[in-house]
Amino acid sequence: MNADFLALAQMAVGGGLMGMAYALMAYGFQLTYTAGKSVNFGQGELVMLGAFIGLSLTGIGLPYWAAVPGAMVAGAALGWFVERAAVRLALQQRNEGWILLTIIVGLFGVSAAENIWGRDDKPFPVPWPEGALEFFGISVTWPELVIAAGALGMMALVELAKRYTMLGIAVQAVSADPDSAELCGIRSKSAISLSWAVSGAAAAFAGTIIAPVTTVGPTMAAALTLKAFSVAVVAGLDSGFGLVLAGIALGSAENLSGFLLGSGWREAPGLILLILALALRPQGIFGKKIIRKV
Amino acid sequence: MLKAENLCAGYGGNDAIREISIEVVEGSCVALVGANGAGKSTLVKSLCGLLAPRKGKVFFDKIEITGLPASEIARRGLCLCPEGRRVFAPLTVEENLLLGAYPRLPSFVPFRKAASGELKCIYDMFPKLEERRSQQAGSLSGGEQQMLAIGRVLMARPSLIILDEPSMGLAPVVVKEVFKAILSLRNSGITILLSEQFARSALAISDNAYIIERGKVVLDGSSTDLAKNPAVIEAYLG
Repeated sequence: MNADFLALAQMAVGGGLMGMAYALMAYGFQLTYTAGKSVNFGQGELVMLGAFIGLSLTGIGLPYWAAVPGAMVAGAALGWFVERAAVRLALQQRNEGWILLTIIVGLFGVSAAENIWGRDDKPFPVPWPEGALEFFGISVTWPELVIAAGALGMMALVELAKRYTMLGIAVQAVSADPDSAELCGIRSKSAISLSWAVSGAAAAFAGTIIAPVTTVGPTMAAALTLKAFSVAVVAGLDSGFGLVLAGIALGSAENLSGFLLGSGWREAPGLILLILALALRPQGIFGKKIIRKV
Repeated sequence: MLKAENLCAGYGGNDAIREISIEVVEGSCVALVGANGAGKSTLVKSLCGLLAPRKGKVFFDKIEITGLPASEIARRGLCLCPEGRRVFAPLTVEENLLLGAYPRLPSFVPFRKAASGELKCIYDMFPKLEERRSQQAGSLSGGEQQMLAIGRVLMARPSLIILDEPSMGLAPVVVKEVFKAILSLRNSGITILLSEQFARSALAISDNAYIIERGKVVLDGSSTDLAKNPAVIEAYLG
């Protein structure tokens, strides 16, 4: 009985730590949504590309700590590109085609990854110590700890920048009232582009911290987008704290259902959460526009 | 200083303003007088870039600014204090003021220090704002929000301020206070374009005025003459 309980607790903790990375990806949704009322439905693809780019950078001899910022710069460029090349054009036409466009750009990303890096999952080597730490009989590996600390640290860093730099306050002003922000001389389109770049960098960062645990492969992308979206919808898009809680809950639930019901059921909690949230309180959480089209 | 030639603009199918030409001379205070829905707000929005005019031209400091984005026009010193105040409700009073000076301030830190002189000027002018500097702007009363909106626009160090319906939705005693603030701006030499439903106060405070009805300028001239014009008295001052 006690051993069973420990095994469950082990699963829940491992999943919860992973779930903080889901929260970080969902935070990327939150960033672009508050600034420009649009999100990247290819967020998981950016995570995957970030992981692959990080892997290639370590492959050419860069140490991990240098490969991560490299992948983030690439992620920022990709996020910026998706907004400039696809989303902005559709929004200028005042239609909701941007949703489909972000999905299409994401599919491009998957094809590109398959062509460049191949279809197979690859391990992502990291310099962290082997072995695990034990807390009350529950073991936690170093890569798992890095996921939790990295995800929370990155969210905290962006939030601080939003609150305590003039640029961040300007982005908040654009979210609050774009016309008024323009009248203050703030280029609201640039502020939205900036949010997409930061969101892309966060996604790439998430890729480089989860890849050591999950391995990297083109197929990871779609599942990650769905998980991040579930977390974002469940938590709502204005609560950073809610994202972390929802992320931990989803990560734990996944691991537990995979463990108790069989590995085929791992993805079930995310889908169920998403369906419940969309059915029970759609407008309150995400606004009608997106719900209608998804 | 600001000149509009044959401006046409509007939303949807119809033009809300038709062939409007106005001029604001440097150092003067010009009023746009007209009923609700006459087209005053459409006119000021197309002057400052929030709405692209369908026809006509806008010049500011002799340079054409027609069709430029509002942020670029604001950076040139033509600043609108919008109808309905439009303060950034979730941000603090001080953040709202700092945003007014955004193009001049450093993007990261130390932006507060860089703006401390101007902040002090605004707080001297509106002591209420200093008391409430760390409060959310959305929690202020209507009159305080109007003072904040005026303070925010002053932070930009504008060469011309457009005030759109500064008295809208305010209690009479607060309206008096707002007009007192506008008068002191005027006396300090800032060029002002004032769009206002309260014709009496607007004509009293301005040098020249344009009377706007159904999207067209129907009368214009010096404010003292207009205040004596029987047609104006009948329609707006009666």
